[in-house]
Amino acid sequence: MATTVKPVTGRIKRPNIPAAGIQVPGVTSFEQVDDEILATLKPSPKWFIGLGLAIFAMLIGASAWTYQIYWGLGNAGYVPPVMWGVYIITFVFWVGIGHAGTLISAILYLFRAGFRTTIYRASEAMTVFAVMTAGLFPIIHIGRPWKFFWLIPYPNWRLLFPQFKSPLLWDVFAISTYLTISTTFLYLGLIPDFAVMRDKETNPIRKRIFAMLSLGWKNTDREWRHFAKMYMFLAAFSTPLVLSVHSVVSFDFAMALTPGWHTTIFPPYFVGGAIFSGFAMVWTILIPIRKWWNLEHYVTLNHLDATAKVVLFTSIMVGCGYLSEFFIAWFSGVAPEQEYFWNRVFGQWWWSAWILLLCNMIFPLSLFSQKLRRNPTWLWILSIIINIGMWYERFVIVVPSLSHEFEPWQWTGYAPSWIDMCFLVGSFGWFFMWFLLFIKQMPVIAIAEVKEIVPPKMKNDHGGHH
Amino acid sequence: MSTESGATGVKRRDFLKILGVTTAATAATGCSTEHVRKLIPYVANPDNTVPGVSNYFASTCRECATSCGILVETRDGRAIKIEGNPNTALNRGALCAQGQAALQGLYNPDRFRQPMARKNSQLVAITWDEALATLATKLGEVRSKGQASSAVFINQHEAGSFPAFLDSWLGDYGMPAHISYDADAPASAIAANTAAYGVAWPELDFDAASLIVSFGADFLDGWGPTVPLQLAWADARAKIENAPRAIYIGARRSLTGLNADSWIACRPGSELAIIQFLRGNGTAAAAAAAADVSAATLDGLKAEITSAKRSLLLAGGNGADSTQVALEVAEYNKALGNVGITIKPASPFGVYQRLDVTAAVYNVADRMNAGAVPVLFVRGANPVHTLPKSVKFVEGLAKVSFKVSFTNVPDETTEFADLILPDHHSLESWGDAEPTVNTLHLQQPAMEPVFQSRATADVLIEVAKKDTALASKYAVKDYRSWLIGRFPGGQSAHTVALATGVAAASSARAAARTAGDLGRKPVAGFGGTGDFHLVINPSPTLGTGSGANKPWLLELPDPVSKIAWQSWVEMHPMALKKLGLMRGDLVTIETAAGKTTLPVYNYLGIRPDTIAVSLGLGHKSQSGKTFNTDGDRKVPFHTGYGRYAAGVGINAVDLVSGDTDALSGGIAYSTMKAKVTKTGENIDLITTEGSARQHSRGIGQASTLTALIAARTQKEGGHGASVGGAATTQHDGDAAQGAAEGHDTGPKEWGGNEHEFVGGASTEFRKGLKSPVANDAQGDLGDQNSKDMQMYSEKHWSGMAKRRWAMTVDLSRCTGCSACVTACYAENNIPTVGASWQGRALSPTVWDTRPGANILKGREMAWIRLERYFEGAADSENIFDPGFDTRFVPMMCQHCGNAPCEPVCPVYATYHSPDGLNVQVYNRCVGTRYCSNNCPYKVRYYNWFGYGEPDRRQYAFPEPMHMQLNPDVTVRGKGVMEKCTFCVQRIREAETRADLEHRPLQADEFTTACAQACPSKAITFGDAADPGWTVAKQVEDERAYHVFEVLNTYTAVVYLKKINHMVEA
Repeated sequence: MATTVKPVTGRIKRPNIPAAGIQVPGVTSFEQVDDEILATLKPSPKWFIGLGLAIFAMLIGASAWTYQIYWGLGNAGYVPPVMWGVYIITFVFWVGIGHAGTLISAILYLFRAGFRTTIYRASEAMTVFAVMTAGLFPIIHIGRPWKFFWLIPYPNWRLLFPQFKSPLLWDVFAISTYLTISTTFLYLGLIPDFAVMRDKETNPIRKRIFAMLSLGWKNTDREWRHFAKMYMFLAAFSTPLVLSVHSVVSFDFAMALTPGWHTTIFPPYFVGGAIFSGFAMVWTILIPIRKWWNLEHYVTLNHLDATAKVVLFTSIMVGCGYLSEFFIAWFSGVAPEQEYFWNRVFGQWWWSAWILLLCNMIFPLSLFSQKLRRNPTWLWILSIIINIGMWYERFVIVVPSLSHEFEPWQWTGYAPSWIDMCFLVGSFGWFFMWFLLFIKQMPVIAIAEVKEIVPPKMKNDHGGHH
Repeated sequence: MSTESGATGVKRRDFLKILGVTTAATAATGCSTEHVRKLIPYVANPDNTVPGVSNYFASTCRECATSCGILVETRDGRAIKIEGNPNTALNRGALCAQGQAALQGLYNPDRFRQPMARKNSQLVAITWDEALATLATKLGEVRSKGQASSAVFINQHEAGSFPAFLDSWLGDYGMPAHISYDADAPASAIAANTAAYGVAWPELDFDAASLIVSFGADFLDGWGPTVPLQLAWADARAKIENAPRAIYIGARRSLTGLNADSWIACRPGSELAIIQFLRGNGTAAAAAAAADVSAATLDGLKAEITSAKRSLLLAGGNGADSTQVALEVAEYNKALGNVGITIKPASPFGVYQRLDVTAAVYNVADRMNAGAVPVLFVRGANPVHTLPKSVKFVEGLAKVSFKVSFTNVPDETTEFADLILPDHHSLESWGDAEPTVNTLHLQQPAMEPVFQSRATADVLIEVAKKDTALASKYAVKDYRSWLIGRFPGGQSAHTVALATGVAAASSARAAARTAGDLGRKPVAGFGGTGDFHLVINPSPTLGTGSGANKPWLLELPDPVSKIAWQSWVEMHPMALKKLGLMRGDLVTIETAAGKTTLPVYNYLGIRPDTIAVSLGLGHKSQSGKTFNTDGDRKVPFHTGYGRYAAGVGINAVDLVSGDTDALSGGIAYSTMKAKVTKTGENIDLITTEGSARQHSRGIGQASTLTALIAARTQKEGGHGASVGGAATTQHDGDAAQGAAEGHDTGPKEWGGNEHEFVGGASTEFRKGLKSPVANDAQGDLGDQNSKDMQMYSEKHWSGMAKRRWAMTVDLSRCTGCSACVTACYAENNIPTVGASWQGRALSPTVWDTRPGANILKGREMAWIRLERYFEGAADSENIFDPGFDTRFVPMMCQHCGNAPCEPVCPVYATYHSPDGLNVQVYNRCVGTRYCSNNCPYKVRYYNWFGYGEPDRRQYAFPEPMHMQLNPDVTVRGKGVMEKCTFCVQRIREAETRADLEHRPLQADEFTTACAQACPSKAITFGDAADPGWTVAKQVEDERAYHVFEVLNTYTAVVYLKKINHMVEA
């Protein structure tokens, strides 16, 4: 397939968005788009197996939670003063994953980055489910999860309100806002696609449901005009959120006194890391999808190449973050900070720090090679490496810092326990359960947007360029 | 007691005590025992019992023979806390950890709940009528067979009237006087004291000394009367300027050794050579060769002793020749003129009066084995556990046809008994003790018996009443009447005296028994083969094992090693290197007497050729048989000293040959050489210690006297430097030694130098404590919103913001004994978490049943912990450097004026009270644990399990232990954070009391549990904003500093630097 990006020529729908002939040469007509993308909605044995596994994993997590609520948090691996462990690590991990979706759908939309067209729906869904997963973890993590609603400022006769100085409260707002916006955004993009599904549906009940979900979409110009405006507005609206959510999550650490946490670099570094891990997760999901559902001519090597460049860029960004942390620790002259960083890299926690550096800084450097950028197998392997690396990034931030604080008498170790692992497995189960259900109900590639770049059939159109 | 105490009238506490006494005297307390679960108000309120108000009963602590005066706080008929009795000269309101933990003996779930008898080789529950009848019959049999003169009664040594009563009772039955046995007693010192000064234990005046030299005399580890000695030591050391310098001589640096300024690490068994050299027999070179120290050191020691204005030389030790050493030391004391000045035989302690030597129990074992003992009575003592195997006490027991135990817990000895007549706990009993000359401490029950136990003395009286010949002699109603009958002034005087718990005594004093010729051969030097000298020491917290059934004491880390729920062997890093060992490696220790396997603890304070093991643990069922302490079978079978002790650690007595120190008749514990072999296994040490070094972070700061005086001069000279700062900059051990030893990895401000730290807040550092809260963190430093709310305004109607609760900890006084920790557990319902059933799940169905498993995960809940940092002497495997300094730092919530934990809690579960407390609201806490993450002092503790929930396996207060819970303090559920509250319940109680009495709160009117218990009086609590309080003066002390001041937390806890008294080079 000749897929090198060429200068934009011919009929294009929007400025700077490469036309289908360039972006998705294998796609030529609206009917093809409808048929091929809607084909992904048909259940297959593979899908059932996948869903079964996901539900099983989810149930492991659910049982673990029941067990934990009964007995208390003591079965987890916490070793005070390491009071935060796998749950918070996994929370930050999933929030991070949740970043790529909105970045792709909103920021890249505003930046007119053409490669977002075919990958944005999957990543947006991924965002919603990742944030849904992440949102569970603070509740799993707290000692009295049945009281989690105390973190929400609701009016009550006791006049008890949350502490607005607490970064954990900011988290509540940041995450819930982000979940709302990304869900809305996902739904908005789905409206024209629901209309397509309505039109193609033969089952009257399903047809009715899709009709309602499409809000009676009639494909009029006026609707398209409003749709485009609304889409643009939401894109603009959610752009700052992409930056703010993970910045706020980073405040959980940066606002604390703890050596290794108390640093101003955290917001940009966290956002960079989030985008990095989000794109990796997009690969983890999309590379198998494009293969198993024959969508390789939609999500082309060019698209993967472009995302690989984003990953490479963000990898370098987080790498700079890691190095500047070391520099600042040395430069600050604060002994506990220096000792902590020494301990992180050469002491007790050297292995986790080196896993992190290898996975997030060294392996992604392979993406300087165009050959590897265009090798889906390598990208998928790399995506797993990066996911591991990013989980360890949060591990390195959370655990070694708490285990090596100001008070030497309370220096300690930490090892996750079986129940921590149950929750980790359960979180993947929960996430993939939703994602698998999603790809069977809704188009995983935005039909309407792909159609936008596919030239419509004209009377005298012979398919070629003029 | 003064019922008319001057202008202020009767004090509230005194009033309560009178109430308590009246209540006790009428014996009509409405005490509920087992059925306390339902909240049913009294139908007829017992006299003087106000629900929710404590009654205090003055009594006497019987946990050791020292017999400190105590006040037992009872609430609604249940004892909930033991405090030192401030009326006594002996312990002046202080109490050690063991004394505090007596409550857990009282409420121990494994106590016998009724008498038991062996039927068909099974112990079964019987009634008291049956039990008394059995005993009377048996006594009749013994007498009729003419065997009475061979009967043996072994009683746990106690000072007071009971031994005399017992002897007269035994005499009436034609039985010989009882054997008063105390495994914890320092035999060599008692023998030497008796020989040299004519009293078992003279008063030791640390205050009068300018130099204290201890030859293994561990007076802070339980050697002698612990609390009085510790008080005397702390008072002497707190003088700062004229405080005595202390030198410790011994192979292992005990807690006492760590508190000494210098350590002369002599080879074990060479103390005799040293004292002989000091007394002029032999050369320094010869003594130095024997002791393996430099001749210069010994010359220096001699010079110091001879040039000291007034010295105090003490000798302890439990080797083969310790008594000889102690006798020589006593002679040297006489020669130096110390007797009568620093050693006062004229005002002796009563603690060891009438104590029999351990060899007397050996003798009993021999007679038992010869089949010459027809009946054996044991009360409280546990010879099966405390005697070496070679004594063959267990074998002897099998040859005694009838064994009666009055012990109320299922210990190893009681396991063999044919008849168990459980005694009341001391808190349920009447009694007295004569702790010092001419003083009597009275003991009265603080509550109705928890179980169906009976006081042994009452049992003896009742049995005698059944005997027609004796009935007339024992016509008294009970032992209490007998005691009152002997009390000068009778009933009314006794009742009055009970109010204070102290009375004058004039009874004749029985001297401690001496060894005599008990047929035991003396041993010389260290016997057996092996590369190491084995030193065995009683545990400072568990003694020789009597405390091991109390979770407070098991959970209390050893003050030296900081290990809990475990036995360990101390080895120097050099020895570790030699054997290729690492910390936690299991090694086999083999002596001629036995072998055992223990994990290695790398300890700087032990000679490389010596290893040390502590006594106190290793309780296990001897017979292998199990029996049930509860006739109703509500609880599972428990032997081996009950559910907490069973299976914890090893018993070091099993390594002991059984030889005695011939001069004292005491067990010569430290006479064995031991072979140490690596097993290749490694286990985790159950320790609360993270790093033993403070990494120049200035947590425990110290200075020298010279530096302090230099700083004072500088200040007077108008240089305007901060005194504490100057002392630190120039002489602080942290910075100087740290740099020299390569530990100084950080900039100096972390070493506590106020001049250099970030933000330059040095001159402000005590700001938070010089003024009420209104001018501090929540006022001037606080945000506008807080100010607008007026809560933190001095003008607020509550007046709370005028106060600033604060605490000082004088590190020159603190010995690291950890009594404060146990006091805090008792006061604040802190759960213990180390029992074998409290561990976490290793899989959904398998639980970690190792004792101390939770502590391995760092989950101990002690709100106040004793940090023990070493300074100087690198942790090198290549050199042995005895010249290190130890800093004991009690660390609790610092109640920061600018607390990092407060703003991060999303639900306001922690906030700042207007009177300066950092408050934790358990009900509001959802358990995010962010507060703990942000706490630089790491003093917040989390309820990982439902320690307070009866239906969870981790429940920390199995019935009837829950009866001890302080009703003023919430029992925390799982998932909430907790921490030191500065005993807020006591603050509010005192405020309310003052309010009700229409008066302002008086200075030093009350204090926290830790400060109250502290046997060093190191902790002072109070209102720093009110100049009347002692604490307000102490925060201005020249030695004052804050921990992590650089973080601008404005802590309310101020530490006063330790002052080391070094010889200037």
